[in-house]
Parts: sequence; structure tokens; C-alpha cells
Amino acid sequence: MLTRRCAAQFLATLALGAASTVTPVSRSWAADTVLKVGLDCSLTGADAESAQRVRNGVMMAIEEANDANAIPGIKLELVTYDDGTPTAGQYDPAQAATNARKMVSDRDIMAAVGPQMSGAGKAMAPILSQGGLAIITPASTNPDITNPKFAEQYRPAGKPIYFRTVTTDAYQGPNMANFFAETLKVKSVYILDDSGAYGVGIADTFQKQAEAKGIKILGRDRLDPKAADYTTILTKIKSLNPEALYYGGVGQAGVKVAKQSYDIIPNVIKGGGDGMYGPAMLTAVGFPAAAGWYATIASPHLVGDTKAQAFVDHYMGRFHSPPDDYTITAYDATLVIIDSIRRVAASGKKVTRDAVRDAIQSAKVSTIQGTVSFDANGDLADRTVSVFQIKQDPSARPDDVSRQYTYVGVAPQS
Amino acid sequence: MTTFDLLLQQTINGLSLGAMYSLLALGFTLVYGILELINFAHFNVFMVGSFIAMGTLQLFGLHGQEVILTGMPLALVLIAAFTVTMVASGALGVAIEVLSLRPLRNVKGPAAMITTIGVSYILFNVVLLNQGADAKNFPNPMPAKRFHIEGATLDLRVILIWIVALVLMVGLYLFVQRSKMGKAMRATAQDPEAARMMGVEVDKVIITAFFLGSALAGAGGMIFGLYYNFTSFIIGFTAGLRAFTAAVLGGIGNVPGAMVGGVLIGLIEAMAGQFIATAWADVIIFSILVLVLVFKPAGLFGRLAPQKS
Repeated sequence: MLTRRCAAQFLATLALGAASTVTPVSRSWAADTVLKVGLDCSLTGADAESAQRVRNGVMMAIEEANDANAIPGIKLELVTYDDGTPTAGQYDPAQAATNARKMVSDRDIMAAVGPQMSGAGKAMAPILSQGGLAIITPASTNPDITNPKFAEQYRPAGKPIYFRTVTTDAYQGPNMANFFAETLKVKSVYILDDSGAYGVGIADTFQKQAEAKGIKILGRDRLDPKAADYTTILTKIKSLNPEALYYGGVGQAGVKVAKQSYDIIPNVIKGGGDGMYGPAMLTAVGFPAAAGWYATIASPHLVGDTKAQAFVDHYMGRFHSPPDDYTITAYDATLVIIDSIRRVAASGKKVTRDAVRDAIQSAKVSTIQGTVSFDANGDLADRTVSVFQIKQDPSARPDDVSRQYTYVGVAPQS
Repeated sequence: MTTFDLLLQQTINGLSLGAMYSLLALGFTLVYGILELINFAHFNVFMVGSFIAMGTLQLFGLHGQEVILTGMPLALVLIAAFTVTMVASGALGVAIEVLSLRPLRNVKGPAAMITTIGVSYILFNVVLLNQGADAKNFPNPMPAKRFHIEGATLDLRVILIWIVALVLMVGLYLFVQRSKMGKAMRATAQDPEAARMMGVEVDKVIITAFFLGSALAGAGGMIFGLYYNFTSFIIGFTAGLRAFTAAVLGGIGNVPGAMVGGVLIGLIEAMAGQFIATAWADVIIFSILVLVLVFKPAGLFGRLAPQKS
């Protein structure tokens, strides 16, 4: 359920055609310079709940930095942009591109967090590159955006501006294929994707590695995420009798795949990427249909970790609902930005976008997930992919991701 | 599964889809037959109907798929929920007519049609604001009972969907053919001016058409929820577009045409998914529509619309 505040934000978004909303994080002192940090996430549509958690994570990091006076003489202000539209029902690449233009034209924005979705990232990256604005994504995992092969397309101005505090589907898909082959001993699989940049990409990388591992690919099909009915394709899959189903995509189609596959192919092993990780799977799919699904995330598992406990407690106290791992990667991304601005300011140079980008590139920041640093393309140095399985815990809240998803382990690296 | 089993299973899937499309197509056809107006608000009356049904089922204490009812309690709950959903959706349709379309009755041009698009977006955004954007777990108290016919599976809820859709469609057909109001509707469809001169209260006929069409859309929305166990603010567009296609395919304004058109679209969707690829289903549906319109511009069963003097 959406909070009233979020609803008010929807209203504002609808009324102004997805204008930005400025959140005054804390009253800034007259003597302080106010610099802005942008945030792009999908607050409208199927991914609204996870977007809200990303936003909360970013907000917390900025509030804490301002309260602790982490950058002497500088206060940070968060500017949130929504890339979801009601007509798309989820993120809309066109809206993401518009948001990127707005971010670039606001000269006070020094760096940004987001987006959640790779499709949005692909639309934003070239514009941000031209504007020289660095962005750190806490969740988008499509490898193309940072791949030097596509540099002309996604960073036409040259320097990497797209950084990540998660690893990419270049590892998420293949490592899950390794997990299917080595741990689950799967011999045959059917692959579906949801037509989105993320979904197609992760399904492709999964498929390639599954083939390399000797898993028989019985077929591959593409779903229309807005369609309601997948019984047709699931019936076709049933007739091919695969041992496993892999779905690459986000929740809009994923929820329906999970619900309908429970009726049609209940005994097939089912798995997906981080698109199948989150409370929507639990509340919208519900039990028993959701039980048994495997999902991965492109980061180490942190929420259950003792290192993250203080953060989780603080978050629960502030927002009264549990965070997920991508809340932490969003919080970490913001910490990297804060630290980079601090280092630029401390060096006595003027805080500019370019200086902040260079500082992010050379960052070595201690965060909840450990020390974050980036390779030459902006990808996270750490490449851990974690596997989870949904198992009902009746004693916990039905939407409590940390209790209903059981951590299985780290997926085998290739 | 043998090819025969597959064909049988996909026919079952297609008929269930078709039943939903037919119910929805009837609403387009009823209104078009009388007003020559394509009512785009209908898309989202269907969606609102599924939310009304969800709310009603929740009032009975049903959440998710965990509470299962059988026998009399199940029948009573379903009948009550269908009644509430249909009456409330029908009332919504009437409200749309009275508040937003009646004032435009004598305005020429596409004003009324554009108004229905606006109303559609209002309904869509009201539900989005009120219920949130995430998919909802639709309560389903029906036992997961399955019958096996050869290698195909037939769910109890699928049979129920067929029965409800058939009863509603036959009921509507009889109403239009036999009742006095039905006769008035057909008269208005044929020639509104002459009907008015013969003492038919045209406003009452229009309200009846909106009520019936919207009530059927509401029933379709509830069937959608029971079939897929989910609903969301966005379900109206795809289903609405396909149902509209069904209405045009059968001959817009033509009641039996809408029913057959819906079933055809459902079957085409299922078979295209099986033998070509799901991603191509829409391409095939709309290609067939184009072909039909090229060779039979009035649709398969002929189009019925007010005659212009």
C-alpha cells in the first residue's frame, strides 16, 4: 500500500507531467553552500515499492551526512525524478531521458543515484555523458551500458559516467546458469524474457552459459509485459517437459508468470534474476504460488548480515518497513557520492561535476557491503551474485523479503 | 503431451480468454449500436469492476488463495460478489453516461469519443492513486479442482467462467430480443428519430445500454480476477483493446457478432502462442482484423448502427 506522501507525489507527477519534486532534506544554514544530488527511480508503476525503498536509502544517507556535517561547509539536497509513467505501468525510457535532461540542466546537481532499471539507464547514459554528470546505479544490471564495446553509444563524451554498486548481468545470468547446472543438476530448461532491456539481456547471458554448461535449451520466448494471459505459452512449455524454467525480467510480467506457472507447471524448477526478488513477488503472487522460486541479486547478501544490522534497525525505526538489499546498495551509492564530494572539497578544488566524477572513479569507500571501488568502465570491482529461494515463513510478515526469501548462497562463478 | 492434447488444452485456454473478451465486447457493441459512439471508458470500467469484485470478496473475509470454500457457501459468496460487482459497475457506467456524455449528446464530431478517453484515464488514475501501482493478489475461494480430458487439464474455475459468461450472454440476447426494453433498444439502434416519434424514451434506452454493457464489463473484471488470481490498475488496456477488436471483427453493434468475435480472438491468441510465438499474438490478431475489414468491412456478422437520415 502506498503512503499518503507517495500518493501526493503521484498526484504531483501526474499533474505536472512527471516534474521533479524537491525534498528539503534538512534546513540548510545560511553559511553553507547547498549542492544537489539527483535521484531517478520508478516511483510510478509496478516497481513503485522497490523505488520507494531506494529513495529511502538515499534519503537516509544524505540526512545522516547533513546531520553529521560530513562535508564541512556543504549541505546536500536530494532532487527526486520519477521515470515511471501510468501509461507504461512501469519505468518509461522516454521519461528517463527527459529526467536525465532535467538533471543535466540543473547546474547544482553534482552527481546522481539511479536508475533502477536498465532500460531507463540506456536512455539516460548518453545524455548524462554529454552533460558530464556521473550517476551511480544501485540496481540496474544490464552489462551493455558500461561495456567499452558500446562506449560510443552510452558514453559519447568519453569518460565513464555510469557507475554501479551492484555487479552486472554479465555475472548474474551466467552465475545462475552455473547454479542451475552445478547445484540443482538441471539438464533441460525453457527460457522466457519480458522484452525489456534488462530481461532480454539477463536471459541471453543465462542462455549462453547454460548452453556452455551442457543444459539443453528447449526453447526461448518473449512475453508482452502488459498482457494478462501467459497460459498459452506455459501450456506449450508444459508439452516440452523441461526440468527448469528461467525467467529474465521484472515484476510486471513476472508476477503473472509465477501465478500461472504454479497452475500449469507446478513441478518445474523455476528461477529468475533480481527482477523476481522483492515484496511484489510475495504480496501479489502470494502463497502457495510463490513458493519454490529461485531469484538472484547482483550483490552480496547483506540484510541478514551483522554488518548491516545497525542500518536495518535504523531504517525500520525511520520507515517502519523492512529494507531490501537494493536499499543498501542505494545507501552505499549515496555514501560514495558524499565521500567523493567531500574529497573534492577537502582538496581545495571547486566542487564541479567533472571533479566529482573523477573522485567517484578513484573511490575506495567503506560502505555496508564492504569497500566499494570501480573498474575502468565504472563496474563494481566485487562480482558476487547471491541466490535466494522463496520459502513461506508463516510467522513473519507476508511481505518481509528478509524472512520469506531464504538465502541459498553465492552462485558459482565461471 | 500429444499434438491433440495440446490443441485441446490451447482450445480450453482460448475459450476462457474468449469468454472474457466476449463479455467486454458486448459493452462496446451495445453502446455503439445505439449511439454510434466508441466508449473508451469501457476499458477501465472492466478494470474498476475487478477491483470492486476484489473488495466485495474481501468483505467476506477472503484474502489470497488460502481460504477455500465449497458447496453452498461458495455458490452464495460468488453470486453475491457477482451481483454487487455487476450492479456497481453498471451504476458506474450510468454515471459516466449521465455526467459526461449526456451534456454532449447534440455536439457533432468526436467530442464524445474524446470525452470517453478522458473518463478512461480518470478511472485509471483514481484506482492508481487509491490502490497503488503494484499487482494485487485477487481472492479466490474456489477449490483447485481439476479434471483430465485425455492429456489436457480443465480447471473447475474455467468451467465456472464458461457457465457465467454463457448465462450472461444468453440472458442479454434474450433481453434484447424478447423484452419490451430490448425491442426499444433495437428500434433506437435502427432509427433513433423514428423510435422517438413512436414514443420510445431514448434516454432510458441509452441508460439501459450503458448499465448492461458496464455490468457485463464488471462481470468480466471479476472473471479476470478469478481466472488469473490477480488484478492491477493496468489490466484494462490490453483486454479492452482485444475486446474492442472482437467487437469490430464480429461487426460492431451486432450482439451475437461480439460474442463470436470474442471467442475467435481468444482462440487465435492461444493458437498463435502455441504454433508461432507469444510475441506475435498481437500481430496475428490485428492482421486478421485488417484482412476481415478489407474483405468484409462490416465485420463477420454485419454491422448494426443507427441509420442516418
